[in-house]
This record gives sequence, structure tokens and C-alpha cells, in this order.
Amino acid sequence: MSGLDATAVARCLSQMADHGDDLADAYFERLEEVEYPAADEEPGIRVRREEGFAIRLVRGGRTWLAARDQIAATEFGEALRQVARAQPSAPYPEPTLDRAPFPPLEDTSCLARFPTLVTRAIRRQLAAFPMRLRVRRHRRWIRVIGTQLAPEPQSESFYSCDVDLPWGRFGVLTPDLSAATVERLATSLTTLFRAQEAPRVEPTACRVVLGPHAAAVLLHEVVAHALETDTLMMGGRVESALGLQLGGPLLNVLDDPTNAPESVRRSSDDEGMIAARRWLLREGVVEQPLADLFSARHSKALMPGAARRGNRHRSPAPRSTHLELLPGESSMDDLFAEADGGLYFPEVSSGRLDPLSGRFTISLPYGKRIKAGSLGELLGPCRLRGTVSGLLSGIDAVGRDLESAGAGWCAKNGLKLPVWASSPAVRIGAAEVES
Amino acid sequence: MTSESLARSVVDSLVGRGLNDVEVFLKSGRSRRFEIGPQGRVASSSQEEGWAVRAGSDRASLFVAGTGRPALDGPWPDPDGLPLRLPPAARVPPWRPPADLEAPLSGETEAIRLLEAIEKGVSSELAGTRLLRGLLDEGSSQTSILSSRGIEETYRSRAASLFVEMAGPWPGAQTVGIAMARRELRSFHAPTIARRFVDRLLLQGEGESPERDRGEFLLGPALGVRLLVALLPLTVGGGSGAMVRALRDRQGRIGSELLTVTDDGRYRGGVLEAPVDGEGRPTGESVVIGEGRFHQSLVGWKEATRSDLVASGCVRRASWRDLPKVGPSHLFLAPNPEVKVATLLTAVARGYYLIDTQGSGQFDLEQDRFQLPVCGFALRQGRAAAPLAGAWLTGSISSWLRGIQGVARDLEFEPWSGMIGSPTTLVTGLELRRSP
Repeated sequence: MSGLDATAVARCLSQMADHGDDLADAYFERLEEVEYPAADEEPGIRVRREEGFAIRLVRGGRTWLAARDQIAATEFGEALRQVARAQPSAPYPEPTLDRAPFPPLEDTSCLARFPTLVTRAIRRQLAAFPMRLRVRRHRRWIRVIGTQLAPEPQSESFYSCDVDLPWGRFGVLTPDLSAATVERLATSLTTLFRAQEAPRVEPTACRVVLGPHAAAVLLHEVVAHALETDTLMMGGRVESALGLQLGGPLLNVLDDPTNAPESVRRSSDDEGMIAARRWLLREGVVEQPLADLFSARHSKALMPGAARRGNRHRSPAPRSTHLELLPGESSMDDLFAEADGGLYFPEVSSGRLDPLSGRFTISLPYGKRIKAGSLGELLGPCRLRGTVSGLLSGIDAVGRDLESAGAGWCAKNGLKLPVWASSPAVRIGAAEVES
Repeated sequence: MTSESLARSVVDSLVGRGLNDVEVFLKSGRSRRFEIGPQGRVASSSQEEGWAVRAGSDRASLFVAGTGRPALDGPWPDPDGLPLRLPPAARVPPWRPPADLEAPLSGETEAIRLLEAIEKGVSSELAGTRLLRGLLDEGSSQTSILSSRGIEETYRSRAASLFVEMAGPWPGAQTVGIAMARRELRSFHAPTIARRFVDRLLLQGEGESPERDRGEFLLGPALGVRLLVALLPLTVGGGSGAMVRALRDRQGRIGSELLTVTDDGRYRGGVLEAPVDGEGRPTGESVVIGEGRFHQSLVGWKEATRSDLVASGCVRRASWRDLPKVGPSHLFLAPNPEVKVATLLTAVARGYYLIDTQGSGQFDLEQDRFQLPVCGFALRQGRAAAPLAGAWLTGSISSWLRGIQGVARDLEFEPWSGMIGSPTTLVTGLELRRSP
């Protein structure tokens, strides 16, 4: 995103933002996705590249946004005039937007090799089953320029993998395609395969241990989504959530984009605000919800810096980027020891939260029974249901081994965003499980 | 250089590089979006322009898509994977573009007024109801497809969508959402939408479910749509043979004689009405199920050449970024223009009028069973006797298909994967339960 004349862009935005509390910014983005389809799918290699920008003006409780699918001075001038139409007419000189060309396509051989490596790893686990695996590399470059603010350009690079299996779909996000990623994916797919013949869980309320991956997804659904200011606003005043005891004292949950895996690490958010380590829950108490500039302008108690944009055509919204559950003191043996007769779930396939009632549903593709402090028989797919407060107050132990886990696509309100997490395992005193 | 001549040059350039089959897809358009919600009032306008190229030889292929216009020199990656064969040109029957293509997109005031009218309409009957989120999108576009196999088509489209989410005034109320699509934003009728919300919210607040009951079921369009969505694995793609065989009875039918399901890419006034599909092949009407007998599923050109099926002109692209994929455009259960909903309603001696779903439910075609959360009214002698909510309509999918006893004329479409439509139907052989 070099070649953008930040000073000239800021000057144009300043002309438009002529009321004292106006917020105006320009958001430039470039996206690249390289995909290798499944072996029986045509066409072969797939490359998608796009770029564009959006200009935004926020005045009071109203926002105007104009977006274009190219980065060029004429289009920028047009969009500026379009956003400012509600204001007195003023001359808007077109800034120089001499952006550099797209970087050349990087070597994609690791993508091409990945499906073969996964298949071999599955064979090493003495399994074989039909599957169609697609792997993609995603790259994103963004630059936000405000009237008084022009933070460093940001970039992200990561991989996604979708697998069609005869019994459903499975997907992962990963910062790299390392040997460990291959092994983890192969293990998940093989376990899913074996779980098809496994007995179903009878509906029950029992002790449940969630592995790091499942715990991270659960916290994304029941903590991060519940503490997004656009969710909180649906229920009333955002400030009333501050200081609320949402979970037990073992729960310390943060959103920290600066501590995400290196290739997706961020120093500023999609509104150009500094991304900081944000305590969502400290010892179970709500401390700082996920806020963007819009909500922070309406409440001094909120800290912006958690805004994310699905793409240039949509306005930003508060979302988590890299969720962290701080480790506790229990080893996995400790967690299992006090969960005899309970269930262990290492993975989550999807989750949903009703923002008003606080009820959630988490789908679990498979599980294992806990017997005498160790893992027993494999169990088929089931669901975990409950309320946010019931579940969080029921967490009675947190593991001590932190893992990078729980990455996935978040699709709230049609914004498809990659989210990252690190978490230890957790134990829930009594959870409602149904088949 | 015009877009079409640029596309022609790209085709020629790639053919010159040894790729025999080359297709250039161009799409440009304008859209406006208005939103009322936790983020205040947001008015967005976008100008979008994108392209996609599919190209291949008899050894490998590639797909490249981008914003703006394609460049002659790419950059094009080295082709990989399977060879690619593109469809040949076919005669496209005459098509009369809809008159509303020339109508301007709605403005901010008009859009906000519509959302406010819906909210006001609901609040006037149900004080304390809150509009959580209202979203209106409207756009128009032009699409061109040009290929080395003689396809050269250009057409225009327009569409508008609405999504509104509300919550009732009582504590613990769950959200109720309605999604609709029309060709124009002006076609959304605020009082009708408000009425639907009032019914849904009132039922949620006051309705109850019997422990277990049977009877006649008058199913509103939303339920018929949900059934058709569940049947998509059967109606789309050529791999549905085993599923169809499992549903056939001794007479070879999979449903009642009143069950006719059609897909029509040229459905007059439809949101996705177009002369050609996403590969430039002519669209038209395809009967998937006729009077209870399965005819054939929707298949694309390539699948048809490998089988004895007929191509349906039903290959769609979700956007210029996406590859063409077989899917419905306007897939609907054929209405009976002679039958009013009231006629079916008064015929129910004891049963239920189910007006909407309360969640996505579960449909299992392999096990031939379904569970769908529903709301509506208990009926006695054709009159509403009690509100119903929190109930599950359950049974086998084949019972639903065979149990259709009446079809009304009130065809309504909903936006799913394509537009899916159904009128009100009268069905027997199903069961209501308090829990699934």
C-alpha cells in the first residue's frame, strides 16, 4: 500500500469533516487469495485479487460510506463528494494515489503439496476415506488514513483448508502449513472418520472437559460475541455490563491482536486505532468490552481499537481478533481426575449465540468418555446448550498448558472474518449435553 | 477500449498462449445499503467492478478474478490441475428485459422511511417492541460473458433485499428476523411486513405447544420453502438417483399429484430473471417434479453431456469472485391459481395453521425424517382456536411430499441459495411435538 499520499488524503478528509465531532477516514485494502482445489475439481489453480477503498463520515449517530473497487484519484474524488453530499459543497482536490502494483504471485508449491501430505499423514494413522480437500492462502494489506491519524500499513497472511467428507465438512484456519499443521488436521479428520461408527451421547447433564480448541471456540461465542458493543447495545446501555460478574474467578479472558500469530499480528485495527491488550473478563468480571470508534464516541468508559471490516463495502464493527484465556494451574490429569463419568470434547464444529436471551448452542463433532482419570470410548456428534452466565459460572478448573487453538471464520451479521485464539483446556462442573 | 473489446482481446491473448477454452466474465454495478441498528444509521453506496477468467487446455486450467478490468498481460499463473472444457454457444431465445431496469435506485430518505414504517406498524399493535436491526440493500448491475466457444452475452439485472430483526417487549424474548428479496426496494410493503412481525412476536409470547398431536396441517409459504430448501440435494446436481429411488412409491411417485416443482431462470418479475445463466447458456423452465413424479434434477452443461440428462441453464455465480455452480434461480412449488388460502383454511375441521418457522430445524434425506420448529394456530372448524409456538413439526419427508392434499395460489419466494418459492399447502400425515 505504498505510494498513497497520506497527507493529501487527510487534507481532503479534513475538508469534509467540518463539524467539531465529525469522524472521517479512508480505508484502502488489497486482498489476494490463492486456492488449490480438490483433485477432481476444475479449473486448477485459482487466484483472486482485489483492491479498493472506502471513505467514511460519522456525524452524531449517522454514518455515510462510499466504496469503490479500484484505487484511483478520480474515483477517490467521486466517493469523497458522494459522502459529503449531505454537507455544504466544497472543492475536493483529488489526492495523488500512485499506489504500487500488486506484488508478484509468491511461490505456491506449499499449497500444491499440502493435500498429499495430509493424505499420507492419515495413512500413517492407519485410516483411509474419501475426501476432497481445498487449501487457500489469504493475504491482506490495509491502510487507514484519518484526518489526524495515519498509522502504519497493516498486513495479514494465513491459510485456510476446507475438507468435504462423506459425513460433512471440516475446516481449519492456520498461520502456516507446517508439519504440525498437517499432523493436527490428519488427526482431526481421522477421529471424525472413526466417530461415525461411535455410539451417540444420551442427553445428560455431566462434567465436561473442553480441550484448548473447543474452549477457545466456546469463549469466542459466549464471551467475545456477548461483549461486543453492538451486541450489548441491543440489550440496552453498554456501560451497565461493566463490572458485571459474568464468570467464576478462574476466568481471565483477553483480546490481544498484538500477540496473535506473527503473520496475522496487528498493531492497529481496521479504523486505524491502536490495538491493545484488552481485558474482557478479569477474574470473571467484565472489564473492557470490544469497542469500535462509533461506540467509544458514545461512552467514555469504552476503549476503541477492536474494529474490524469484512471488506471495504461494509462499515466497521467491534469484533475480537486474538482471544486469550489465561492459563490456570490444573494439568490435564487433574482436569480428568475430577471428571469421572464425564465427557471430553477436543473440537467444536460450530456455535451460535442468541444475543438477547443469552442462550447458546455449540455443535461438537465427537467426544470421549472420561473414566477413572483417563479417556475412554469415542462418542459421536452432540451439542452443548446453555446460557452464557450458567456456563461461565460453571467453569471450575482451567488447564495450565496454553495452546494456540480455536482459529476459525467468524460470520456474525454477514461479516466473514478470521479469528485467532490461544487457550488451555477447561472443565465445566455441569453442562447440558444432547445428541 | 470498451469492456467487451477488452474481453475479446483477453480471450485472443490467452488462446495465443495455448489455452483453447477461454471465458471472460465481466460484472459492474452500483448498490446502496441502508442500515438502522446498534451502529446508528448507516448509508453506504458502492460502485463495484470485477472480472473473472476461466481458461484451460486439454491438460490443465486456471481461474483468475480481480477488481477493475482484466489486463491483457495478466499476470496469469501457470495452469494446473484438470483440463477445462467450456460450454459451446447455444441459441438464446428472445428475452424482454424488465421495465424496472431503468428505474433509479432508492434514496436514503425512502429507505429509512420504509424501515421506520415497519417499526411503527409493529409498535402500534405491540407496544415496547424493539427494532434491533433493519437492513436494506438495492443494486443494479450489468454482466457480460464472452468465450472462445462463441458465447457473447450481455444482460442487466437489479435486486433489492431486506432484513429486519425485532424483539418482543417481554423479558427473555428471542429475536425474530425476516429476510426478503424483490427486484426493487419500492416493492417492499411495510404494513404486510409489520403484520408478519406482529403475528410472529405475539405467537412467541402467547403460543403454546401440545405434547403430541396430529391432524390436518395448513402450511404457510415459509414452511413449503423450507421443505424445498431441504430437498435441494435431490433437486440440484446429477447425483440424486439413490435419494429419489428411496422416496419412490409403488406407482413411481415421490409425492402427491399436486406436487409440481419447477425452476425457471426467466421467471417474470423474479429477482434473478436473466436470459442466460452464469456460463452464458440460455435459461428456461425446467420441471424437476411433475405431478408427484421426479423428472430430473437441475444440471449444468457439462453434467448433461456425460449423462442422458438435459442441461437446465441453471449455472449461477454468487459474484464475479465465485466460480459458476449449478443452483436454482427461481425454484418453486407450482401454485394452483384457482384456490384461495381461505378455501383451504375453511376445509380444516381439526388441525393447525403453521404460518412460520422458528429456526432452521433438521432435515435428514438419508434417514427420511425431519424436525422443524414452527409457530401458528390451532384450528377448529376452519377457525383459529389457540396460538401455537415452541412446537416441532416432525415426520418423514416422504410423508410430507405424499401428504399434500391442497395447494393455494399465494406463491411467495424467499432468498436462500437462489429464490425458493411455495404457496400455502394443506398436508396430512405429519405430527406436532413439544420437543423434537
